[in-house]
Amino acid sequence: MNSVGEACTELKREYDQCFNRWFAEKFLKGESAEDPCGQLFKRYQRCVQKAIKEKDIPIEGLEFMGPSKGKTENSS
Amino acid sequence: HPWETVTTAAMQKYPNPMNPSVVGVDVLDRHVDPSGKLHSHRLLSTEWGIPSIVKSLIGTCRTKTYVQEHSVVDPVKKTMELKSSNISFTNLVSVDERLVYKPHPHEPDKTILTQEAIISVKGVSLSSYLEGLMANTISSNASKGREALEWVINRLNAEIEEFTASARGTMRNSMAAAAFVEK
Repeated sequence: MNSVGEACTELKREYDQCFNRWFAEKFLKGESAEDPCGQLFKRYQRCVQKAIKEKDIPIEGLEFMGPSKGKTENSS
Repeated sequence: HPWETVTTAAMQKYPNPMNPSVVGVDVLDRHVDPSGKLHSHRLLSTEWGIPSIVKSLIGTCRTKTYVQEHSVVDPVKKTMELKSSNISFTNLVSVDERLVYKPHPHEPDKTILTQEAIISVKGVSLSSYLEGLMANTISSNASKGREALEWVINRLNAEIEEFTASARGTMRNSMAAAAFVEK
């Protein structure tokens, strides 16, 4: 499955693999502890944020879109 | 299928042959809240294969529709809730969907899905025929959704079998090699 930003697809795949493994083997079994995919997620995120801005996709209510917004929890 | 299987499959739902129009999936945000529930915000990109005459009316750069999805997985209560709404540039029709997966109360190997969709039409008034058409599409999409998860579950099982078979083969080879060395 591709990413909305073509350049992000590889980063997305690496993150997805890590997440899917953690989700099925740890999180669902109640061992939520640490999410080991933090670094991969950050790299993937930076790429996606850029792609969304470039493509002008109107996403509302997510904190990463505006550092000046300062919302800590979104309650959509 | 048990709730854990369905939930795992739902997280990896795309791509699947029942939803060929979904061309991209991205995670915008993901975190575990203080009560231990996993929240994920995802962006789905869909390409509908719009006829060229429509494309020329709306402009070719706008052929993608986007769906924003918020899911919450509670591993203790065993519920997964998905809320999605479409973001589209035309903004005429919006569809909000809500799905909840829970274990079957009497049969632990099964999962119950409840699904609702709210269709809102603004601006240009569409005929009731079109609204009815959308409602039909959404209810047939509901069964398509079940088929899609079934497909993903089968795929995941096949991957596990393949992995186990090749691991067995590797073990046999290395055991044979070890026996050879011992001699």
